[in-house]
Amino acid sequence: MDLQKLITKPKKGVKSAKAGETLEVVGKSVLRVDGWEKIKGAAKYTDDLEFGPGLLYAALVESPFAHARIKAIDITKAEKLHGVVKVVTGRNFTQKFGLYMNDRYVFATDTVRFIGEQVAAVVATDPKIALRGAGLVKVEYEELPAVMDAVKALEKDSPLVHPDLKSYTHVPWFFPKPGTNIAHWRKIRKGDLAKGFRDADLVMEDTYTVPRYAHCAIEPHSAIGLYDASGRLTMWTSSQSPFTQRHVFAETLKSFGLSHKDVRVISTYIGGGFGGKAGVTMEIIAAALAIAVPGRPVKLLWSRAQEFYNTYQRLGCTAKIKMGVSKAGKITALDFKLHWDSGAYVEYGANVVNAAGLSASGPYKVDNLSIDSMCTYTNLPPCGAYRGFGYSEFLFGLESHITRMAQELGIDPVEFRRKNAIKEGDTLPYGAHMNPTGIRDAIDRVAKEIKWGVKEKSKDPKKAIGKAQVCFWKSPAMPPNASSSAFLKFNEDGSINILVSGMEIGQGLLTVMAQIASEVLSVPVSKIRVETPDTDRNPYEWQTVGSHVTWGCGNAVKRAALEARERILDLVQRVHCLDKSTLYLEDQHVKCRTKPDFALRFSDFVINGIQADDHTFKGGPIMGSGVFMPEFASAISDPETGQGGHPNVHYTTGSAGIILEVDRETGKMKIKKVALAVDCGKAINPDLVRGQIVGGLLQGFATVLYEDMRYNEKGRLLNPNFSDYKIPTVMDMPDVVVPIIIEVAQPDGPFGARGVGEHTMIPCAPLIANAVEDALGVRIKSMPVTKEKVALAVKAQKKH
Amino acid sequence: MPITAEFEYVKPKDMDEALHVFSFYREKARALAGGTDLVVHLKENLARPEVVVDLKALEELAVFEMKGDTLRLGALVTFSDLIASPVVKNKFPLLWEASLTVASVGVRNRATVAGNICSAVPSADSAPALAVYEAEVIVRGIKGERRIPIGGWFTGPKKTALLPEEIVTAVELKVPSRKNAGCYMKLSRYDGEDLAQGGVAVLAFSDNTYRVAVCALGPKPSRCPGTEAALNGSKLGEKVLARAKEAILQEVFPISDIRSSKEYRLHMTQIMLERALEIAVSRLFGKGPKYGTENIV
Repeated sequence: MDLQKLITKPKKGVKSAKAGETLEVVGKSVLRVDGWEKIKGAAKYTDDLEFGPGLLYAALVESPFAHARIKAIDITKAEKLHGVVKVVTGRNFTQKFGLYMNDRYVFATDTVRFIGEQVAAVVATDPKIALRGAGLVKVEYEELPAVMDAVKALEKDSPLVHPDLKSYTHVPWFFPKPGTNIAHWRKIRKGDLAKGFRDADLVMEDTYTVPRYAHCAIEPHSAIGLYDASGRLTMWTSSQSPFTQRHVFAETLKSFGLSHKDVRVISTYIGGGFGGKAGVTMEIIAAALAIAVPGRPVKLLWSRAQEFYNTYQRLGCTAKIKMGVSKAGKITALDFKLHWDSGAYVEYGANVVNAAGLSASGPYKVDNLSIDSMCTYTNLPPCGAYRGFGYSEFLFGLESHITRMAQELGIDPVEFRRKNAIKEGDTLPYGAHMNPTGIRDAIDRVAKEIKWGVKEKSKDPKKAIGKAQVCFWKSPAMPPNASSSAFLKFNEDGSINILVSGMEIGQGLLTVMAQIASEVLSVPVSKIRVETPDTDRNPYEWQTVGSHVTWGCGNAVKRAALEARERILDLVQRVHCLDKSTLYLEDQHVKCRTKPDFALRFSDFVINGIQADDHTFKGGPIMGSGVFMPEFASAISDPETGQGGHPNVHYTTGSAGIILEVDRETGKMKIKKVALAVDCGKAINPDLVRGQIVGGLLQGFATVLYEDMRYNEKGRLLNPNFSDYKIPTVMDMPDVVVPIIIEVAQPDGPFGARGVGEHTMIPCAPLIANAVEDALGVRIKSMPVTKEKVALAVKAQKKH
Repeated sequence: MPITAEFEYVKPKDMDEALHVFSFYREKARALAGGTDLVVHLKENLARPEVVVDLKALEELAVFEMKGDTLRLGALVTFSDLIASPVVKNKFPLLWEASLTVASVGVRNRATVAGNICSAVPSADSAPALAVYEAEVIVRGIKGERRIPIGGWFTGPKKTALLPEEIVTAVELKVPSRKNAGCYMKLSRYDGEDLAQGGVAVLAFSDNTYRVAVCALGPKPSRCPGTEAALNGSKLGEKVLARAKEAILQEVFPISDIRSSKEYRLHMTQIMLERALEIAVSRLFGKGPKYGTENIV
């Protein structure tokens, strides 16, 4: 009877047995749980941690050559400097390391491969002494011919960056070519390319170039290592990847008797990552120095210049595209060759190349497809993860090219995209099938927002207005067995601590994990604490990269919450003899549909159990654990065609549009309006998703309009500073940014969510290039699209 | 990032002491006022002085006053002091406008006008404005005081007429006797803090005479007499503008560097001259954009 009532007249907030049907917390813009702490300046970052007067500081001896043999290292003068504790070279650390390809050294031993590479370190009682000591280390080099260009590196007589490539170990889905500079070559062959070009009414070929970029997180990398008398190595790092770091430290330093259980990585809040703090870069040096100076903590803090030249950089890319399109506006063939300048070590960067190679068709159905994504060694600094993971780079060429071809055929570029946009179930470049997607909805809503098709005129006769709209997609790039896990523990008062190792990198992970648990367990977010990880106490997470933690870690947290819920319901069923199927959680109580008066407060039993009629206690501390691994994924496929595996777990799609005002004479651009719609499956916290959209767009526009890493012919970075590497300020913001959330649920995501973090920056480059052309009729095919390039192109056009 | 080099630091209590230090140490002494260049150079080991002489205790260097028609900017006057001054804004609006484009608020709070012209980088934003107001640089050494017209101050990139035993005590500007209005156009990579890739200052007078000066378009900031000659005596019109735009190309010597190409700098020199002239002239008649707006191109 009561049950019927409940079904016909549901009370507000009553949940059905299946979580997710009505949502109380998920989908609400609850305030960030780490907000106050950060606003008040109380949040601790790695450099804030105190280690007392015993703390030692390290400074590096760095290579002045892009490619040279090390003939001798003389450390005697440095060792004699008062305050120097130890001078460390690579002699004791010979184990190579790498995330996907073991090609990287702790210190260069025989050969240096880029300017700024670490050759030795001086550990001293004071940072000044360490730097002075580093200046006293004498290294004798024999300069070798170097290669700085990814296309030139393929020439027969090019210097080889890694002559021993054949002996390097790597993941099974990489295909290096020993004896060349090719570290990995991802091939995709699908359909019949020749037939596709025969069927085309228009074939267009061109080359688009993208330079290297730097992440420019506010906080530079820092790491403190302590190797103590118990034989354990503790590392405090500013990192997106504490567990991956632990693994790399343990593997690289295992000759010192370390096993994984002995290595502990503690990650504080980080002041920006954007991929730059994924994997392991300078942290391995701090770990090695800790081993070299046992018993005392050693700190390594990167300067801003080092932040530029000796962490991962974003890969440079030369993209050669040939596309065939029918008169009806269907893409009949796409031949895409991506040459990546991956730098001196590609242990992480090669997977960027792989990811781009798998997905360079963009969010379109392309039946006849050939992709060659080639990872090339050069004597420039190593490259690795950067928000977008290769997608921004190929999308610049692809989305520029699509607009050009559509215009050439007299087809509206937005209609063209709508026609070719991928649908659920379509075959992906590697043969698997597309997940549900709201891309068409995204295209329509953005087109409406920027009044696509309506030509606008500037009030200033010196300026012209252009519009553009493009599409994007991206999938997390991760090993097929990358997994997440979570512990959830109730406390006496019914509050909860959640332990995860997903990193809060500004995206709001802690808040979102609390919301997910809150939704399942009916405990308010304010009673849930989630903190940054310590690998000793927190369970495993592969890395916080690829926009996958809301999905992966979120699934683990949801499973942990569901397990805790099951334990609660089992206990109540056992003690109170109520059928589990009638029980539900509401407002921190266990309630029963068939007994409206029954309400058991969490705080009455979640630690100390429930007292039965015979005065004994049943139950005990309520906990839950959850594990998530995408068990459907596989990276193994035919190396010649890329067909057969299921390397990508899902794609997030979307569209973005812009109204751009351009000064005809100076080339100066002002973004009057930008709108971006992204299908995040389910916005667990809409304000945080909007934050990602706004932030991603601004970072994306920075790479298009201003940023550019510039090297001289010797391989020296000319702008390792903010005087000449320009990231925009508040003065350079667009006038209006419109974030649009599309929600077509991801079936295997927590409450339908899928990734959204990186995607919001990747459409920016073609947006600007296409809008410039719309405004002034000039086409810029190299990034960045600076006002200088625009003005000079307009000037050149006038001459003709 | 720590400063690893070692040096003596002195903070003289009076001018006499300061001048004695400079006469003794000469090139090995460096003056510290705002420190926005010096400290960076010390960190990067670009400056290796034996002694750093902190001038901030010298009260006479802090003078910031208008006497009659002369503005005295003591060597310790910062860009923020200058920007906050209604007198500067009213009497020397072009200098005020140029000062707003110097670095960022944080840097302007410390950086001094005297320091800007002592560093003497080709891109010094204050230099074209000081040039068209025909400022004088007042320097003191143990042997006495010299007054150096701004036109003779810059002798090359990062080089000035200052002798090793001297320090700058002040910069003086006279309010022009005729009605005038100005405009400073700055070529930057974006609207945020940037070093000029080119700067053009124009001061237009009601009697159809003009003064033009540039920065970052040659080895040193400089006046453009040929351009001025092309303009003088004429109302601003299409023909005159075209003449001036041709003339200025003969007076600038930009290079290609990481910040900009020579080609773009030359192109923008003409655009900036044209726009600065148009704005200055319209300001002369009480029209045009307010000072401090629309001058970053």
